[in-house]
Amino acid sequence: MADSRDDFIIALRYSLLKKGNKQKFSLFFLISLSILVIFLDRMSLPFILSTRAVLNDFVYQVTVVASTPGKFINYLGEIKKNHFNVVNKNKILKESIETLKIEGYDNFFLKTENKILKEALSIGGIISTEEVFVMPARVILDQESPYLKSLLINKGTKHGITKGMTVFSKTYLIGRVIETNFLSARVLLVTDLNSKIPVIIQDTDINGILVGTGKKTNLVLEYMPEEFSLEPNKIIYTSGKDGMLTAGIPVAETYLSKKNTIKIKSLADPQQSLIVHVTNGQMSR
Amino acid sequence: MKILNNLKFFFINNLIVVIFYTLSFNTFAGIKEFPNLLIFTFNLQMIIVYFYVLKFPSNLGTGHIFLAGIINDVVIGIPLGTSSLSFLVLTFFTTYIRTATLRSKMTTEWITFVPALFFSNLVYFIVINNFSHLSFYYIELLQNTFFTFLFFPIFYYLFINYETKMLKN
Repeated sequence: MADSRDDFIIALRYSLLKKGNKQKFSLFFLISLSILVIFLDRMSLPFILSTRAVLNDFVYQVTVVASTPGKFINYLGEIKKNHFNVVNKNKILKESIETLKIEGYDNFFLKTENKILKEALSIGGIISTEEVFVMPARVILDQESPYLKSLLINKGTKHGITKGMTVFSKTYLIGRVIETNFLSARVLLVTDLNSKIPVIIQDTDINGILVGTGKKTNLVLEYMPEEFSLEPNKIIYTSGKDGMLTAGIPVAETYLSKKNTIKIKSLADPQQSLIVHVTNGQMSR
Repeated sequence: MKILNNLKFFFINNLIVVIFYTLSFNTFAGIKEFPNLLIFTFNLQMIIVYFYVLKFPSNLGTGHIFLAGIINDVVIGIPLGTSSLSFLVLTFFTTYIRTATLRSKMTTEWITFVPALFFSNLVYFIVINNFSHLSFYYIELLQNTFFTFLFFPIFYYLFINYETKMLKN
């Protein structure tokens, strides 16, 4: 019994401390170093942050190069899709233009009416003093790991990007900046499990929190009233209650799924985003 | 010409290290074109670490494993050092298996890959749970781990053939 325990301890000690052939470091040293790196990263000391920013920028640039073959496959796939979809898209776009024209007239009428009503109630003329910041950026990588559904953009602190800024693609909100480096930044997508946005549902005064599940077509509303049931084809807007996003930015819409259940899908398609706009919470137009 | 030959010699002898680093840097953007294949995603880095530490420990240094882990963390966006620690725990477990095993067979090595993966992923979960505010996609991770285990024999024979036949030639 004692012999087998001794053997076990010897084997463990050998595995941890013995440097193998051509090995420069022992496992014990490297495991300790990893733990130290984790703790230092957690402490977020200024010199660690700047070192990490430089490391991130370097790694992201190499990753862009390393991901080129994968991007080329995507590019070929896009060409194929575009080739087959061009006629259908044209038809849909023509219909959309007609609808938008009609909506445009309605909007003009509503704007005028709103202005008149504001003037009547003496609440008009409130203009935000906050300067609108809009920075176009190119998506250099889109990363889908089991931990984060995120994008990497080619603008960083050098260009005025800060943590918490909102990112739009084609006027739709796609996410927020969660990590900034000198020349790059990471955007957490609205479809990610860690994304939580205060929202309001069209034609109601119901507030909720829109949470991602990792899939574009399956977002979830949390903290809703118990008796409330969703209706299909309703737009979900930001409520602006987090103090970061302005109210009224369209984020998602409800739809009837194939199984006759009402689901929520993101309006933007983050995976198709090539150029995005980083703002300080205002809507990018 | 001599430089080219040296470069060729270096790449052939260190091909697995090059592949290992490439996997760390890569985001596998191309796989999105095949959404039906996404379910079969697996962690080739884990297979490489397990196989090479078990069979050819001199071909893949622990320093490389540590550095590739750090790169992996930066690319994925998780706390720095998490993947390194996870890979090193896998290395530790594998070194122990190598030391304790007298006669090695593919099947036994395949079976021992299960606890090795378990401990490696356990460390991963512990670090991410305690050192970040990230949530997991548990189903994706479970699928990933399962297929990593399932595809091990394929890569086992592939790497064995590469190391024993190709490198001898």
